[in-house]
Amino acid sequence: MVFSSLTFIVFFACVLGMHSLPLPWTTKKINLLIASYLFYSAWNPPFVILLWVSTVVDWYAAQGLVKARRAGARHAWMLLSVVANLGMLGYFKYGQFLLDNFSALMTALGIAYHPAHSDIVLPVGISFYTFATMSYTLDVYLRRAAPARNLLDYALFVTFFPHLVAGPIMRPTELVPQFAQPRRASAQQLRFGLALMTLGLFNKVVLADTFLSNAAERVYDSDKIPGTLDAWAATLAFSGQIFCDFAGYSTTAIGAALCLGFAMPDNFRFPYAAVGFSDFWRRWHITLSSWLRDYLYIPLGGNRHGARRTYLALMGTMLLGGLWHGANWTFVAWGGLHGVYLSLERALRSRFPNYRPGPLMFVLLGLLTYTLVNITWVFFRAKTFTKAWIVLRGMFGQNVGAVPILSTYLLSVVAAIVSALLVTHWFMRARTLESVVARAPPLLVSIVWGIMLFAIVAAQGTGSAFIYFQF
Amino acid sequence: MRGAAGGAPPDPVVPEDRYARQTAADRPGVAQPVPVRPVPQQPWGSMLLGAVLLAAVLLGGWEWHWRAYGVHPNLNNDFGLWAIERRRIDAGEGDATVLLGSSRLYFDIQLPVWERLAGRAPIQLSFEGTSPVTALEDLAADPKFTGRLLLGIAPQVFFQAIDFNAGAAKFTHKESPSQYVGQWLSMDLIEPYFAFDDADFGLDTVLARQPWLQRPGRKWYIAIRKLSDTHAQRNTYLWDKVEIDPQYRELARTIWRQGFQPRPGGPSPQEKHKTAQEQIERTAKAIATLRARGVKVLLIRMPSSGEFLAYENRDFPRQGTWEVLVKASGVPGIYFEDYPELQGYYLPEWSHMTRSEAERFTATLYALIMRDFWGPGAPRAAAASEVAPAVPAR
Repeated sequence: MVFSSLTFIVFFACVLGMHSLPLPWTTKKINLLIASYLFYSAWNPPFVILLWVSTVVDWYAAQGLVKARRAGARHAWMLLSVVANLGMLGYFKYGQFLLDNFSALMTALGIAYHPAHSDIVLPVGISFYTFATMSYTLDVYLRRAAPARNLLDYALFVTFFPHLVAGPIMRPTELVPQFAQPRRASAQQLRFGLALMTLGLFNKVVLADTFLSNAAERVYDSDKIPGTLDAWAATLAFSGQIFCDFAGYSTTAIGAALCLGFAMPDNFRFPYAAVGFSDFWRRWHITLSSWLRDYLYIPLGGNRHGARRTYLALMGTMLLGGLWHGANWTFVAWGGLHGVYLSLERALRSRFPNYRPGPLMFVLLGLLTYTLVNITWVFFRAKTFTKAWIVLRGMFGQNVGAVPILSTYLLSVVAAIVSALLVTHWFMRARTLESVVARAPPLLVSIVWGIMLFAIVAAQGTGSAFIYFQF
Repeated sequence: MRGAAGGAPPDPVVPEDRYARQTAADRPGVAQPVPVRPVPQQPWGSMLLGAVLLAAVLLGGWEWHWRAYGVHPNLNNDFGLWAIERRRIDAGEGDATVLLGSSRLYFDIQLPVWERLAGRAPIQLSFEGTSPVTALEDLAADPKFTGRLLLGIAPQVFFQAIDFNAGAAKFTHKESPSQYVGQWLSMDLIEPYFAFDDADFGLDTVLARQPWLQRPGRKWYIAIRKLSDTHAQRNTYLWDKVEIDPQYRELARTIWRQGFQPRPGGPSPQEKHKTAQEQIERTAKAIATLRARGVKVLLIRMPSSGEFLAYENRDFPRQGTWEVLVKASGVPGIYFEDYPELQGYYLPEWSHMTRSEAERFTATLYALIMRDFWGPGAPRAAAASEVAPAVPAR
């Protein structure tokens, strides 16, 4: 079920009620586990089996890793986990994509090969929980972490509903220790957790779904050729939409966990105020970028084997990171562009190691970063390269004679929200939400909170899925 | 990726922040510790209370505003509600009468009247702004449906394959448990009590229809406004505001007028003809499947009036559309202009009847159908499956 649905409100109220009952800690954990399975099966009950498979395979793989005496055996247990998880991911997420590309390759070679369409349904959140479970065996393999002490704690780590389907991608060392001792939110934690959930849902339901998605859809999902203004407005709208959608989800998830007494890590740090692309990736989807860094980039050699190897590792990581987002070459292009940006930035830093921008240049570099990030969003949002080129041509003034698409209202909405978003990110770039809230007058916080609650209800969101569920 | 590219440039202004904390981005290649999630020091209890009270006051004002505008709480006419009715066929009511069409069959047939006369309520599967063909094909593919089908043909929607809500059938088969539960919660706890809970009064919709400056070069149309109220079993009727508020009625007519002229970039006459042919072929094929398992199908062209009727007669002349469809499908049809008792009703915006007129019309239509088509002694009852009339009864 999605956080922005009526079903979730009732579900969450029941979970909070159960969790506050005077029950033994083990019973409460079992309750949370059952609730998490219910949460997942509310989409498609049979897919709970995949969760079980992932859980059991990695549990036994980690046990095997600990007991193994020979390096080869350890290696084999690790590979079992990786192959099982990536195999599952590959089949459900990339099966049709691989088949289509193989078919296209055969056709290019003059061989007629037309496999039947497989109609594979993508289990929601599979990319997230397979990465979470893999990090468990990989951490044990890399001797960064000890295995969980019992299957219940481990299963709850994998399944815990706030992070299950769209992250933040938790590491076992972040969550499993929290299950060791009884946890219940204090009154302050509960209320702050509810405030975070309100903020997250406001981002998702009001800003992303209600006000920003429309402009992006009208340009990206239509056959019309956009002019410069429409192409930029739609792309800026999407940049705001995807941030509000995904950061909104993460904030809601963090708030939900906090209401139950658990802490989850930050996933976003005001990324549109990033200056440079390494800074961007320290602020955007932090738990994924750090996962890719720790389990892909560093094992590929990282920056330990010279410049050439570093650039190769960087590009490989970003290309695969792009593919993680979806089985489409447009996502690979998105990741590739980010890889190129990161490589160029790295080269410039090597060439000018002592350069420190002044305040004006700092802001200009930030705006340049934001502009270039927006260009990557074109490939992320467009369903085909053809569409991406059409929008890019529009953004660079090449669609001469294009008929206006977006209304004055939509243009105004996009301008207002995206400007506010940018100003907020720049104001917050070196601050935390907590510090700003702590310094704000309580009455002001209360008014903003009340208005957000009203807007969530009045917007009449249809409970549409979060964009990142498809990844 | 700090490890990849060497870290961010220095920040010129770093205010003191006692809540500052590291993230995984700051700790490459190590086990990540249990996160820190501090709570800002504030009187959270009173702030929560204040927020809830403010939200309640704002929502109360919002609700009052829409009730004062003439809105009555009613059910949301969405896919979830459609799915509930569609599933009745799979839950033992496969022999029922199904009403399938666009808004005219949806608004102008009153289920309580039909139920009173027939002893059993029909299943209402019509959807406004939507050709019934997709749902018809879905019914044809469902062997559990063996009853009777009244298929509404609104020329503009049907022959142009307008399909705003054609996703309803697919939704029904893919509805998740969460959506299923959410539908019932919404129907029981929200929709019967709050007038503002209507797609026409969502924040975005309300803001979008304010008098914004129009962008030069962009053709502008007024979006279709709320026209109906929906209740249990999808019984739907024309919103009384259309009947009693002259300004709103004129607005509704103005909105219809926008569609009476070709839109720039719209389909060519050849494309329109091709679309109409495809609709007819799909319908004929689905009807053949239904008839093969004994389903009685009756086509109906519901009344329209005024400028709307003139537009339909001009762009979708009977001989080139309705008659072709009746002939191709091989089932009888009712064209309202052939029956004096189906004429003379009040349609405030030329397309749908008022509620009281719809009740009167339903009783008349039911009697006519039983007399001529579906009743035990109906002259066309026996012949319906064999004869393909070029001209309907009468």
